[in-house]
Amino acid sequence: MTLTRLIIFALLLTLGRPTTAQPTAEPESPAVFSPVTWERLLNAGSEPHNWLMYNGTLDSKRFSQLDQIDTSTVASLKLKWAHHIPQLDRAETTPLVVDGVMFITESPSNVVAVDAITGRPFWRYDHPLPDDLRICCGRNNRGVAILGETLYMSTLDAHLVAIDGRSGSLLWNQEVADHRSGYSKTAAPLIVKDRVVTGIAGGEYGIRGFLDAYDADTGEREWRTYTIPGPDHPDNRTWAGDSWRTGGSPTWITGSYDPELNLVYWGTGNPGPDWNGDVRQGDNLYADSVLALNGDTGEMSWYFQFTPHDVHDWDAIQIPVLADIELDGETRKAMLWANRNGFYYTLDRETGEFLLGKAFARQTWAEGLDSNGRPIRRPGTFPSQEGTLVAPIAGGATNWWSPAYSPRTGLLYVNAFDGEALFFSREQEYVEGNTFTGGGTETPLAIDNYASAIRAIDPSTGDIKWEFPITPRSRAGVLATAGDVVFSASVDGYFYALDATNGQPLWDIALGGPVHASPMTYAVNGQQFVTMTIGNVVYTFGLDD
Amino acid sequence: MRRKHLTQCLLVILVITLTGPSWTTQTIAQDTNNPFTSRIDLRMGQRLFQTQCTTCHGLNATGGNEGIGPDLTTGRFRHADTDVGLYRVIRNGVRGTAMIGLGAEPPDQSIWQLVTYLHSLSSTADDPGGSPVIGRQLFNGKGNCNRCHMVNGEGGRLGPDLSFVGERRRPSELLADLVNPDDEVSPRWWTMKVSGLDGRQFEGLRMHEDTFTFRIMDADENLRSFEKYGPWSYERIQSSTMPNYTQSLTPEERNNLVAYLFSLRRDR
Ligand code: HEC
Ligand code: HEC
Repeated sequence: MTLTRLIIFALLLTLGRPTTAQPTAEPESPAVFSPVTWERLLNAGSEPHNWLMYNGTLDSKRFSQLDQIDTSTVASLKLKWAHHIPQLDRAETTPLVVDGVMFITESPSNVVAVDAITGRPFWRYDHPLPDDLRICCGRNNRGVAILGETLYMSTLDAHLVAIDGRSGSLLWNQEVADHRSGYSKTAAPLIVKDRVVTGIAGGEYGIRGFLDAYDADTGEREWRTYTIPGPDHPDNRTWAGDSWRTGGSPTWITGSYDPELNLVYWGTGNPGPDWNGDVRQGDNLYADSVLALNGDTGEMSWYFQFTPHDVHDWDAIQIPVLADIELDGETRKAMLWANRNGFYYTLDRETGEFLLGKAFARQTWAEGLDSNGRPIRRPGTFPSQEGTLVAPIAGGATNWWSPAYSPRTGLLYVNAFDGEALFFSREQEYVEGNTFTGGGTETPLAIDNYASAIRAIDPSTGDIKWEFPITPRSRAGVLATAGDVVFSASVDGYFYALDATNGQPLWDIALGGPVHASPMTYAVNGQQFVTMTIGNVVYTFGLDD
Repeated sequence: MRRKHLTQCLLVILVITLTGPSWTTQTIAQDTNNPFTSRIDLRMGQRLFQTQCTTCHGLNATGGNEGIGPDLTTGRFRHADTDVGLYRVIRNGVRGTAMIGLGAEPPDQSIWQLVTYLHSLSSTADDPGGSPVIGRQLFNGKGNCNRCHMVNGEGGRLGPDLSFVGERRRPSELLADLVNPDDEVSPRWWTMKVSGLDGRQFEGLRMHEDTFTFRIMDADENLRSFEKYGPWSYERIQSSTMPNYTQSLTPEERNNLVAYLFSLRRDR
């Protein structure tokens, strides 16, 4: 960074005129605080210098209009700064950027505000946690939501906290569920109007999942929709006996919102116990589904279940990507969904109608999908005492890491894995607060026998247009930009850029740590940056000044 | 003064050494003062407590889960009325109970630091007896303290969040905060001043500083980031931006404010 440059970097939350794509360095401009209103969130795509929510925009395309870094300039990306997260746990964060200030969540349930140009901190909030947490898969947090001047964060003790965006002061702290019963919270909330919509984790603990909305000012709960209907609802009969009470179906990734339809879309996780379906005969609604809920009331408009009676832990915990696409000569309000179970789906997001679907990764458990999108199961694929070999693995053909959709190419970019695993089934009694999985899984061959790829899927056909192979694996999200660049990363620590039109590699750098996060991009003073968390370090790259 | 403390403490050691392992109490003067009461002593005491005492008395000294050790935060002790009494209980234990005591091994200083820590926990220790209700009105009204301070999510950002200030400051310290704000200003609340930028000046509270850069919050609560080296200059001012309330508030008003501030704690 040149020293002659003007020294004022960030005018926090100050220059946020929604229409300026390229904010200018104007230190003398009055530093008027500009809160992130619902209007701004609705139009987040038109201020691409900011990254205002977990998936960038309410339709979760993870597509940015920034194009300074494009197919011709990306090869000269340079490291600008790195921020070390003090905890060595997995880092799954997607930072937000608001007018030059970046908000990064850190393990276990902390948040730090840094200057987006230098990566140096303004403040931090460390959430006190009890020592009897119930967490299946690491002390993770994926990010915050912002409304006005307030950040909203999920915490591992299953609380939702509101934090002042300028000072890091705690504004309120609301218990969402009792962590001692197996509930926890890891996902970034989603702002819908003046509410904070937020899910729950704990699918390996026999919880009963739900999706909640809280008043952003007071933290009072406004609605709760259970992902497993109670006994007064006919769909409750898709669970044998009392199995619905401990049926899991968590909601541990962030959803999407369509303002015209006023529908919140949210994926649900596996039914519990994960691998022993005998104790919960039936389709197990609404596990492994996408739910469309009224944004004001939480009332269900429709659902689509990807994997009825799942016995392989194939959570439908993916990002609902909302895009309008051409299908048979018609423009459809669609939802694009590459699922953990190995199939890609295009749904009508108004009605939930299944439009088309196709395997996008290796799968051995179904003959295909029927005309309603229901899988046609192959016999002999259920977990067993001695182990049953099935593809995909429990971790899925893809997982919670975000895909990206570019309206310029019309392609959905997905991180896919062609693996297989032995699935074991065991009897298990439910004990409140203990894990409740009913079995386990094991990968029979060394990991190098399998492969990952970034696959570019055409949502109007389900066909794969191109793929970029990754050896051996990836657990990273994807970002697409108007520079026709696709960014992602691999578990062996590469951060790389592909040509969005053909998958050709354009740039890569070995950063060395395992990857569990998704990339994002932003700009300050007209300069574009791209940020990726690898290991426990948040790296930010940009072109020369 | 200092010497006197040392002598007293030597005396204590002497007495304890002389009386052997089954410690008795007769010979120590009732008015012996605790010589280790600084903020550092308090912190050392807390640290010791956390390693030696929490298994029975609980993490916050409010009593063990299984009720093994009693709550030590009530300000009243069954086995001691004075610091010396507490000293003895900690060193000698309580006969016939699980409270065994630390014995002769640890230095005097450590025992006194534990005494200091236990005092800091008690809510009635040095309460000047003001009214928290009136204090709250002053805080948000005439005192205008909420212009700079946040309490439970309401208020300004130009001073520390006081939501739980009663947990970290004793009443006497809170009183001192009002009349001597320039004492021990935490670096977070120093002021940074930047000048020489085409005649423009920036000034704000020091949120973070490192070798090459620093960040401030200005009077309008905007966050700004600066590089240190360039054709401009910066200055670090280590006094407090909080007004001194010696003149503008009466002693009674200050006591009411202190009572309110001291009530700002999490429910135990
Ligand atoms: C093995 C459990 C145990 C440990 C460890 C322990 N205590 Fe105790 N403590 C007790 C019990 C039980 C009592 C109550 C004795 C009684 O009166 O029956 C007690 C009493 C006390 C009292 C007197 C309370 C009163 O009301 O008079 C003090 C002071 C005290 N402990 C301080 C400490 C300190 C300081 C430590 C650490 C150096 C400590 N204790 C470690 C069990 C313990
Ligand atoms: C102009 C802003 C401002 C106003 C008005 C103000 N303070 Fe402060 N206060 C500060 C700052 C800055 C600090 C931190 C520096 C220091 O210790 O003086 C502080 C520190 C304190 C502390 C110590 C907090 C701690 O964590 O150690 C207390 C207590 C306090 N103020 C109480 C009050 C009360 C009561 C009032 C109203 C009568 C008040 N303040 C008015 C700015 C202000």
